[in-house]
Amino acid sequence: MLRNGLIILLVSSAMAADGPLPEHRHTAAPPGDQVVTSDSTTCIIPFTRAGNLILIKGTADTTEGNFVLDTGAPGLVLNLTYFRKYAASQTTAEENGGITGSVRSANRVQLDSFSFGGMHYYRVEGDRISLAHIENSKQVKILGLLGMDLFRHTEMIIDYRKNLLYLHLIKRKESVSYHSAQLDDTTAYHTVPIELTDNKIITYGDMAGKKLKFIVDCAAESNVLDSRLPAKVFDHVTVTRRVLLTGSGTEKVDALYGDLRDIQLGGGKVNSLPVLITNLEQMCTAYNDGCINGMLGFDFLSLHKIGFNFVNQKMYIWK
Amino acid sequence: MEMTVSIRNRSALHHLVCCLALLLYMPVCAQKQVPREYRIRDGRMEIELGRKISRGALDSFILQYNLAGIGLQHLVEKYISDSLKRYGWSIDRNDKNKIVISKRIGSLNDIAEPAERIEMTEKHPTIAEMFPAQNNGVVLGFNRFVHKFPFTIMDSSVEFFLRGHIRAGQVLLAGSFTGWQNHPLRMKLTDSGWVLPVKLRPGKYWYKFIVDGNWITDDDNLINENDGRGNTNSVYFRTNVNFTLKGYARARKVFLSGSFNDWQPQSLSMQPGDGGWKLPVYLANGTYVYRFVVDDEWIPDPANPETFPNEFNSVNSVIRIGKPLMFQLPGFTSARQVMLVGSFNGWRRNELPMIRRSDGWELPYTLGAGNYEYGFLVDGKMMPDPGVPMHVKDHSYLVIDPNYTFRLKGYANAKNVILSGDFDGWSPNTIHMQHSGDEWIFSVHLSAGKHTYEFIVDGDWITDPGNPLFEHNAQRTGNSVLWIEN
Repeated sequence: MLRNGLIILLVSSAMAADGPLPEHRHTAAPPGDQVVTSDSTTCIIPFTRAGNLILIKGTADTTEGNFVLDTGAPGLVLNLTYFRKYAASQTTAEENGGITGSVRSANRVQLDSFSFGGMHYYRVEGDRISLAHIENSKQVKILGLLGMDLFRHTEMIIDYRKNLLYLHLIKRKESVSYHSAQLDDTTAYHTVPIELTDNKIITYGDMAGKKLKFIVDCAAESNVLDSRLPAKVFDHVTVTRRVLLTGSGTEKVDALYGDLRDIQLGGGKVNSLPVLITNLEQMCTAYNDGCINGMLGFDFLSLHKIGFNFVNQKMYIWK
Repeated sequence: MEMTVSIRNRSALHHLVCCLALLLYMPVCAQKQVPREYRIRDGRMEIELGRKISRGALDSFILQYNLAGIGLQHLVEKYISDSLKRYGWSIDRNDKNKIVISKRIGSLNDIAEPAERIEMTEKHPTIAEMFPAQNNGVVLGFNRFVHKFPFTIMDSSVEFFLRGHIRAGQVLLAGSFTGWQNHPLRMKLTDSGWVLPVKLRPGKYWYKFIVDGNWITDDDNLINENDGRGNTNSVYFRTNVNFTLKGYARARKVFLSGSFNDWQPQSLSMQPGDGGWKLPVYLANGTYVYRFVVDDEWIPDPANPETFPNEFNSVNSVIRIGKPLMFQLPGFTSARQVMLVGSFNGWRRNELPMIRRSDGWELPYTLGAGNYEYGFLVDGKMMPDPGVPMHVKDHSYLVIDPNYTFRLKGYANAKNVILSGDFDGWSPNTIHMQHSGDEWIFSVHLSAGKHTYEFIVDGDWITDPGNPLFEHNAQRTGNSVLWIEN
């Protein structure tokens, strides 16, 4: 049931441009797919941080404010608090699943235009849910989340040290050949294959002979590892402390923090990777492509400059 | 002197001997490997403990893994498992040699939903992170205990000790590191008093004991402070530097003196011990110079090779806490000498010679949080750092670890907005605020206490329209007032 729902919503999330596009803008518009335009070949977007979340200024129709860059979210998510006036085009509930994979109340709304840092989207749809918890926790006004669907035709480089995001809208003609000048020196970085499944960035690591499937999620502050992995993986984990995770309502579950040793990841061996260990069983039902074994979040991504070519499906990790 | 007083007290001495014995015995225990493990197997978290685990080791284990209140002690000491079972734990083994308990790690229902996913992966701070050291403006700290030795520090854990009160039914430890009454910690009874190991980072903390519901200060701690609301609390400095001077067995008095205590010659008395003199202190991040005063004779630290020249044609010993910054001056390769001079070293012009490189000059120097002015003295002529845009008169201005952001909303058409206040000597041209969205912002480091400031919008001085607090200044135009809490 969830699977069918996901397909329906992924199709409906595609963005289209019916009206005339502004001149002197670069576009990427595969047939029948979303239309995106950008002011220049490469947008250099400064970002600020709320904790370890990347905040980017954006404008949704006439509402301006912060959006969180969230490669773990499939598409645009709008905060219910600021987008109540929009009529819902479709409700996402348990019966039909949803782009968020959520069983909670969410609905689809459409913006006439959405833009951030030189990128422009028209008639873009987003999931409308409450992000109040994140606002309260970070004490920052957050209008929404910038999920993967917005970046499918781009090369993205995140430089946490300089607080800059480089986005290049890859045109159809340059799909195969394009790369940023920052990638000219091929000895400076590792290239790691990624997959885009359900608008999620998937990459693989290797631990004690076990292939581990990770989502690359820049809105996850901690790396996460599934507690159901085999013992041979946890032979390489030192548990450091126990915490209680609070879910919606009063639900609380145990989780552990630990250090994962000697994992092969991103073209090299990581000696020690801090991880939050929890049960990711519920993630399995949210994805068409089965379970994931973990998430790579800020604790991994911020170690180096990191880039993605979502067209060629590659990840670049600077040494 | 302190040693004599302490040894006179039998219970404290016993406590000390126990601690020393524990210290000496620990490696042996480690070799014997009394099991003490927290692991994950088949989706369950599993704890294995040797039945012979010491009470101290069990306390540390419970504290580290946040297991207080689930009844683990009862199982280890009395074979009682009711409480653990109530919390969902299975007792997989419980015999005279070993205890193994496990619990399935559950899944949050909505973790695939974006807000829940972000919330789940947020950092979950430890108690120490939730209630950190109160170091705002504190450069130096030391402890003064009588009747007992300073709390033992092992593996970043401080063992708090309340002497006596052995007939009390319950003793809790509460302090700034527990959010006071929010997370008081249960102390353990020994034959001389109550103990509890607590992980603390270096810094200043306040604490009290709660003995059968009554809050008391630590009578054996000579340092206490009033919190301004009528409460007196004991003060504990978790130390991070142990100054030692070997030898000088015949010296009558040895003091430590340095830039951290304004070179007061007799305020920091070192204690005699095995083979020399020592004084553990807390020092905030930064670079300090110091000397020892041995029976009125000032000497540099013979064990420390790093020195800076001083104004007496001699040297002071140097200690750095924290990561150094690299000060760099490109060019000027034909200069004979370049000195780094700043508010951080009291503007001493001959103390910090920079190191000549092929393309310029550089010097690593460690600074703690704060706002600083500095410059380079190139062959005797002062100049600002060309690589730093902020200046106060002829000096560069540097902000380390900003902790407060000033915001001025509106003024979208202003060309230049400057922040000026007591933190930059009311400079009218140093801190140029940045325009971001619909506001002008700038972050600085402010110490605890009162600060006054104004904005200068295209030359016009204004008070902060977003801050109702202001006071009159000499020009009777008003300064905005800001209080930074400790």
